[in-house]
Amino acid sequence: MFNFDFIKHKKIFFSISIILIVIGIVFYFINGLNFDVQFSGGTRILIETNSEIDINKAGDLVEAALGKSVITQMLQTYNPENASQKIYMLRLDIAGEEALNEHERNLVNDIIAENFDVKENGNQEVLSVEPSIGRETMTDGLKATLIASVLIVLYVTWRFSAMSGFSAAITALVALLHDVLIVFALYTVFQLPINEVFISAALTILGYSINDTIVIYDRIRENSKLMKKHTLEEIVNASINQSLTRTLNTAVTTLLTITTLYVFAAANNITSLMEFSLPLIIGFIAGIYSTIFIASPLWLMWRNASMKKTLKKA
Amino acid sequence: MRNSSFVKFFIVILVFAVCAFLAYNEVKNDNIRTGIDIRGGVSAILEPDIPDNSLTAEQITKGLESAKVILDKRLESKQIYDGSVTIDTVGKRINVDIPWAAGETNFDPQDTIDELGKTALLTFQEVDVNMVDEYGRFLPTGKIVLQGTQVKDAYPGTDNNNKWIVALELDPSGAESFAEATGRLVGKPIAIYMDNDMISAPRVDSKITGGSAIITGQFTSKEAADLAATIRSGSLPFRLVAAKVDSISPQLGQGALDVAVNAGIVGFILVCLFMLLVYRMPGLLANIGLFGLVVLTILSVAWTGISITLPGIGGIILAIGMGVDANAVIFERIKEELRDGKTFRSAVDTGFNRAFSAVLDSNVTTLITAVVLYVMGSGPIKGFALTLGIGVGISFLTAVTATKAMLQAVTGVEFAKNKWLYGVK
Repeated sequence: MFNFDFIKHKKIFFSISIILIVIGIVFYFINGLNFDVQFSGGTRILIETNSEIDINKAGDLVEAALGKSVITQMLQTYNPENASQKIYMLRLDIAGEEALNEHERNLVNDIIAENFDVKENGNQEVLSVEPSIGRETMTDGLKATLIASVLIVLYVTWRFSAMSGFSAAITALVALLHDVLIVFALYTVFQLPINEVFISAALTILGYSINDTIVIYDRIRENSKLMKKHTLEEIVNASINQSLTRTLNTAVTTLLTITTLYVFAAANNITSLMEFSLPLIIGFIAGIYSTIFIASPLWLMWRNASMKKTLKKA
Repeated sequence: MRNSSFVKFFIVILVFAVCAFLAYNEVKNDNIRTGIDIRGGVSAILEPDIPDNSLTAEQITKGLESAKVILDKRLESKQIYDGSVTIDTVGKRINVDIPWAAGETNFDPQDTIDELGKTALLTFQEVDVNMVDEYGRFLPTGKIVLQGTQVKDAYPGTDNNNKWIVALELDPSGAESFAEATGRLVGKPIAIYMDNDMISAPRVDSKITGGSAIITGQFTSKEAADLAATIRSGSLPFRLVAAKVDSISPQLGQGALDVAVNAGIVGFILVCLFMLLVYRMPGLLANIGLFGLVVLTILSVAWTGISITLPGIGGIILAIGMGVDANAVIFERIKEELRDGKTFRSAVDTGFNRAFSAVLDSNVTTLITAVVLYVMGSGPIKGFALTLGIGVGISFLTAVTATKAMLQAVTGVEFAKNKWLYGVK
């Protein structure tokens, strides 16, 4: 059977994670976060055109008319009625505390219709949102995640008392935090838009990661009873190794599904699905990594440290 | 013993087959509700515009409840029957979802929402007949005779001459102030305002006591009904402001759904192939179990009438992933037991028993997360939590009961007693 000393090399694995997380934080201070209109507030207008249009010109014209800064982008997306034809959409983002009013929206529509080849009765989408709404969704989500974390800590402390539950619960949370920070790095480095899709993706990653970690903890819990004569190091190493096939098999199946989704979305230019699946791929990899290389070694360090303390006291 | 195992095996297969048939019908008949982000339409968040601390939380909740009733009625009056108005009790706001009607072309989402949100402050005001705007409408004077909240009910009807009227019923305080004002203002008009827009200005014929009044005019039946509905909305103690309006084109949403479903089918086939390759016979049974999981998820979504949103699809993916994981955990345990030289029957039994705690704990932690997110989250988070919770429940059931029953049955068969079939050398 495969046997690798995960504990001995823990410093290398910790370092890799820390480097990635630091890169993410550095980029945060350089670039900040790219909040989508959903969070920054403002108006997003999508107008269908018959072909690719000059987005710089469109942006300049609208900026001149509104006196507000506009970000334009051309999207080509999948046409469910005719797969061989693409749908061309011009996207205008006007960020700001105030959404555009009716007059301003009509102005934008008129300018684009006058100057460009706009499809008659084509697709059109409008999103206007106050910044408070997006922020609230985010704070609601964070609050919920915090409370869920507390409950998970209680549950794990209770169920995993055989491996002194509280330490196990906290190190599992650290592993979760690790995954979130790695995904955070993805967003700061590549300036991916932070929107509602991101929230769903982040929650999915957390769910996956905690599940992944619990299964290894279960093995440590069981082995703590079976391998009473062995050191904690040996128990942890054995547990990781014994569950390794399962961890990797599950990883392969999950990544298989999500990568398929990403490939399909990318091939058809479905932005929302790409924005959902890409962080999942990275987040799941981070989750698998933290399950194997972070959670259990960290728990072991905690146990060893607290044992030393008790020894000193005695 | 062996016979009962077989009975179980066939019951599982039968249940899945029946469910698959039912699920197929639900999908074919379009009974899966999809959210606005997929089917297209308008999704709006309306927030009450309340000056700080002027209302208690209870008043706001009550106000939101009456706002929901009003919005439902307004949607109906616009011939929108499959719209949904839900109160977000956490965020103290109202979500309005209006799907696109088939063949809809001239539909201005922002307009519709603005109109809906116009359930504003209704007042009956004394007017100065000399102060009129350019259209001859009385300007509001601020001398309020009656608040919209003092109107208990308003409904259209006909009088003795078969003319359309609007009947009002006032609460005791409203009846008192209305009696006083109408006594003072006989022969003069009292104007009804929605915010600052004059809606109607009936003339007072005589002092009105007893708390019921009638507004007569040259109404058509529709005008009378509209006026009554507008007055009814006056029991709302605040204005509703559209904090978010998101209109999604049905074609783009459909495109995203098509691609997601295709990717889901291909992904599912890949996972099945992988399970078959790695776990062989148990893998085959796990695939049957996963198929059951998918089918049961579709059925529960169809029967509960949940709207599937893109975050909701994320929840389903995670639940299926956890179902696969549960199987992987169990089968690895069975392989270990077989390597230790156990018999097939006892390897399957101990494998399941040993893996049970891991599967239980990981599912319970996920369920805790799903419940908390559902209770505390809003919008997309709720959609995610709901499908995740349902999916995890079903996935736990199929992994520990259906797959187990099938495996136990199979271990009783002679040809299945071959270690190669379990992926053990």
